[in-house]
Amino acid sequence: MKSLKAIVIILFVILMAPGRAAAGGPFGSPQPVGKEAGGIHTGIGYWFHEDNYKNGTERVTRQNQVYSELGYGSRKGWEITVRVGMSDLKLIDAFSSTASTATSKTDFEEHGKFFSTLGAKGFYPFNQTFGMGAFIQGSYYFSDFTDNLSGTQSGAPFSVEVRVKNLWDVNFGMGFQATVPYGIKIYIGPYVHYSELKVSPSKDVVGAAFASGETTMKNKNVFGGFTGIEVPLAKGFRLNLEGQYTERLSAGAAVLYVY
Amino acid sequence: MKFFSFPVLPFVFFAVGCAHSPDPAATLAPPLVSPPTRQVLIVSDPVQIPPNPAEMPVQSETRNVDEYGDIEVPEKVSREAKPEIADPLEPFNRAMYHFNDKLYFWLLKPVAQGYGKVVPEAARVGVSNFFANLAFPIRFVNCLLQANFEGAAAELGRFTINTLWGVGGFLDPASSKDIHLSKQDEDFGQTLGAYGIGQGFFINWPLFGPSSPRDTVGLVGDGFLTPYSYLSPWYAGAGTRGYDMVNDTSLKIGDYESLKGAAIDPYVAIRDAYVQYRLKKVNRKGGNTPAEDLELPKK
Repeated sequence: MKSLKAIVIILFVILMAPGRAAAGGPFGSPQPVGKEAGGIHTGIGYWFHEDNYKNGTERVTRQNQVYSELGYGSRKGWEITVRVGMSDLKLIDAFSSTASTATSKTDFEEHGKFFSTLGAKGFYPFNQTFGMGAFIQGSYYFSDFTDNLSGTQSGAPFSVEVRVKNLWDVNFGMGFQATVPYGIKIYIGPYVHYSELKVSPSKDVVGAAFASGETTMKNKNVFGGFTGIEVPLAKGFRLNLEGQYTERLSAGAAVLYVY
Repeated sequence: MKFFSFPVLPFVFFAVGCAHSPDPAATLAPPLVSPPTRQVLIVSDPVQIPPNPAEMPVQSETRNVDEYGDIEVPEKVSREAKPEIADPLEPFNRAMYHFNDKLYFWLLKPVAQGYGKVVPEAARVGVSNFFANLAFPIRFVNCLLQANFEGAAAELGRFTINTLWGVGGFLDPASSKDIHLSKQDEDFGQTLGAYGIGQGFFINWPLFGPSSPRDTVGLVGDGFLTPYSYLSPWYAGAGTRGYDMVNDTSLKIGDYESLKGAAIDPYVAIRDAYVQYRLKKVNRKGGNTPAEDLELPKK
């Protein structure tokens, strides 16, 4: 019991520590989704994601992702998962006006770009109820997000195409799981997150945010915490709900099918 | 209307086998008929296809000998209708049979065997599942046209589940023990049959294999509902169809050979099996059976 108490306290400290960033996509339960004997699972999911990026100034990104996933788990307790999906991207207040520059809009926004996520996890059960696992997961966006910005700079009109490119992230962490009656899995854990993107305008506009040369932005904080629940549904389907708590909340749901 | 052009393509030559089965399970000409060999012999006209003595189960004959030494014909067999189809174009059809036969042995089979050696079976099954899922509009629309709403719902469910949880249709979770939504093997030819339209006479199309006027019209109807018929340029659709058929054949090599090897006259065996197979499919959902399709064989 002492060790359990210590785990709970550690988790509480980690999760409540200030300044965390969100990650791209759910991590899922530490235990592989597939059957104990091993096998594949598939799923579809939705993920709402917010993150804080900085490079001199801070900007909040907001994404809505839909994805399809395929995973293979072994009976030895490890699993690999591949996801392919589409996502939009909003960079809030990316184009805010300054004293000398007036812009037509404030947010960078584009829809429907493909991304892929690759993840791996391992699980160690303590007993029938409790267990812990570790995971690593990374995402990459295959194409750039683009948006057009127009406005006036010192009275002269301008129009520029702004491109957000090379958006990727990598996450690793550990999760603690309890399996309660009806096969419901509840899990919680800390993780480390790193994400990066580049903002590049088609031409420089002096005084306009993100319209003056290529800028690399990174996520503001690297530590985060997540919690979730996986509920068995009928006919081999499972529902996975997960939230990742940060300065902002990221959350999503997935329906998985176990073969 | 681009799909009208694909039949003339050489590639489709070995890409099309069954005029009626959008089901990727149906392969080219020879294996167009799926009933097993034994079933073929049973439904064949005994005058046209004498039973192969080597394959006659001696035990079963002795088992049916009554106390007076007479051979009893099982009631079920004697009552079974043996459908027949008119074959006024037999010389042409026989020529096309040989053409399709050579096409299979000289082109499609070697290509499919080579493909099968390179691509693992699991992947080929996945591809087959993908094309079967893609043919969902044919099955769905024809279920609706036959007022088979339960079947249409099952097809819609299958398509949704296999697309979303079957990785775009490469896997088939809908057929699993848990979900158990079986595929509704419906096509436009069957719909016409369910409406009471008879087969007419037998036609053995080059490339497309055994058919009838009714099922030929059905083939055109199915063409409109085949998604890759609308691919542009036209050879993309034809190539896709060709690949589908090569993949499918690679999973069924040996079926046609068995059918052909077991028949005295493979042409007649295939023709009769085709008629029986289509009739069975039309009748399965309780569709009307045209009277001419139930004509008993002439003695």
